[in-house]
Amino acid sequence: MVAAPVDQVRTLYRTLLVYAAVSIFILVAGLAEFAYFEPPGQHTGLKAHIVGVFQYDPDHNAVIGSDSNAFPRTVQFAAVVDWSTLPPNMVYDARWYDGFGNVVGSAGPGTPAQLENHKIIPVMVPPGFHHNLPGHYIFVVERYEGGVPVEVIGRRVVLVER
Amino acid sequence: MGAVSARSANPRHRRPARYAVAIAIAVTLVLVLVASSILNYVYLDTVAGRASLYGLLAVALIALATFIGVRASSRDPAERAKHFIRAGVLLGLAALLWLLLIDVFVFTGAAGPTVAAICALVCVPTTAFGLFTLRAIDRNEKEPWRLVLVAAAWGAVVATSLVIWAESLWQAIAIRTLVPGPGLDVSTAFSAGILEELAKGSAVVLLFLVMRNEFDDVVDGIIYGAAVGLGFNFMESVSYMTNLYAIFAPEGVGSYAAGFQWYARQVLGLFFGHATYTAFVGAGIGIARQLPDVRKKVIAIAGGFIVAIAAHFSWDAWLTLFPIEKTAIGILEIHLRTLIMTGPFTAAVLALLFLGLQIESRALAEHFRREAAGASGAILPEEVAILMSPWQRFRQRMRALRRGGLRAYIRLGRLQSAQIDLALERWHRERQELDTPLEAEDELRRRVLALRQDYLRAISSG
Repeated sequence: MVAAPVDQVRTLYRTLLVYAAVSIFILVAGLAEFAYFEPPGQHTGLKAHIVGVFQYDPDHNAVIGSDSNAFPRTVQFAAVVDWSTLPPNMVYDARWYDGFGNVVGSAGPGTPAQLENHKIIPVMVPPGFHHNLPGHYIFVVERYEGGVPVEVIGRRVVLVER
Repeated sequence: MGAVSARSANPRHRRPARYAVAIAIAVTLVLVLVASSILNYVYLDTVAGRASLYGLLAVALIALATFIGVRASSRDPAERAKHFIRAGVLLGLAALLWLLLIDVFVFTGAAGPTVAAICALVCVPTTAFGLFTLRAIDRNEKEPWRLVLVAAAWGAVVATSLVIWAESLWQAIAIRTLVPGPGLDVSTAFSAGILEELAKGSAVVLLFLVMRNEFDDVVDGIIYGAAVGLGFNFMESVSYMTNLYAIFAPEGVGSYAAGFQWYARQVLGLFFGHATYTAFVGAGIGIARQLPDVRKKVIAIAGGFIVAIAAHFSWDAWLTLFPIEKTAIGILEIHLRTLIMTGPFTAAVLALLFLGLQIESRALAEHFRREAAGASGAILPEEVAILMSPWQRFRQRMRALRRGGLRAYIRLGRLQSAQIDLALERWHRERQELDTPLEAEDELRRRVLALRQDYLRAISSG
């Protein structure tokens, strides 16, 4: 008895199926990572009171002028958070992200009492640069649980102009 | 009856059903483009939106050029050149218009037209090198330049237009709802992987549906897919280079930032990136081309898309797992990161490519021999060994060049291509993968014989 010749296109097809199986594993791993950092059921309805985003004077660690959503790149700026409005038994932090997703300013994590001396959270100019890089900056106040931020309870987007 | 083109000879008056599917996909894509441009203009960034809206003219020109180009291949050979010239002019106009729009509305305001032009120009040689390399790899039956360039143009112009709105919308929603950090990074990576691969892959699907005669197997799928990826990579490189130049120029390092992007995307990532991802889409479609039942065809196409999305996703999501030091070692780390993260995917697609080439070579050899054993005279027994080797074919053309000049070289090239087409036609017919009648094969034989006469005349007159 002579065996029928193996169709090599089927070998290609099976090889692709193996690749697809590995790929599904990769995508499921991605979903698992997403679920870990964005756990469902964490919405508490809490709202942090972000007083505003102002021009910042680093020499006196103070803010100047009025609340704004856009700044020239040569101007330093900072967010002001009123921690006293938040429940005292929880842990929070605040962070600034630049347009590349890098953390360029932060406070915490800590309880509102621990963060009371960190009401002003400035954006730090990256080392080696003279001014802030242009782009959209995101400021977030986050609630912590189990050592990781699980919920954003306050958010501002600020444009640093070119 | 007028002359019938050899590979596409099809005396049936009714078009195959796949043309209806292709038209449905094309119409859907155009509607999505129109809707996305208007939505983008109204709701998202007005600068990018304006480019997207005004870019519709360029997209329309591309669509028209593609339509004329595709139709030209099935027309009377005497008319064909005229239609290809029309298609080429429209495609050129569309590309220029689009680049102009991108320059004027997106980059010029930030980086300036000179920087935008320089960024585009420095990406041309590397992308061209990529396309030449792809064709060189396709050693048995090279895909026509017109289709390779259409694929690259789709990747550069149409695919980028298709994703701009959807990615902007996804990003806008994600930034306002997710915790910044790894979760947001993963979300962005899913957006890029799914949306960009669907946009790029739709070009390969359309080529498969409309140009079945030029889409033989997994090898062709990988070539077309990678060409779409190279086109997309070209436009993305220009976009990143000009954007980063504008961001870093006030700090005095704009050129360095743009140069680094060029190296990362046009040298290091030329094949280890979009070309690899979309090659998987093409591989899936190419394998589906040769499978007998519809269920397996659908699984193969879906499988190709899944691998492409996963490859793209893994790079975008886990790039930060390999931080780069700002020292000399960082240069080594950049290369290692690409090799470790994308290398396995590139190796996997190369494995499919080489296996596909091996299958194709064996099939061609078998059908060269069978055709030579017949009495048609389309392939002579002494030509079999030459046709089986790209190097021998090239040497034979060089001999023709010495004996009969450039005309003989070109005529012999056409003869060899027609002989390979005939063997491929026989292979597909044996596997019952054709919807063309047997007359098409006979027409091919007549064409080969006519080309042989042309070649002999060129040799004798040279």
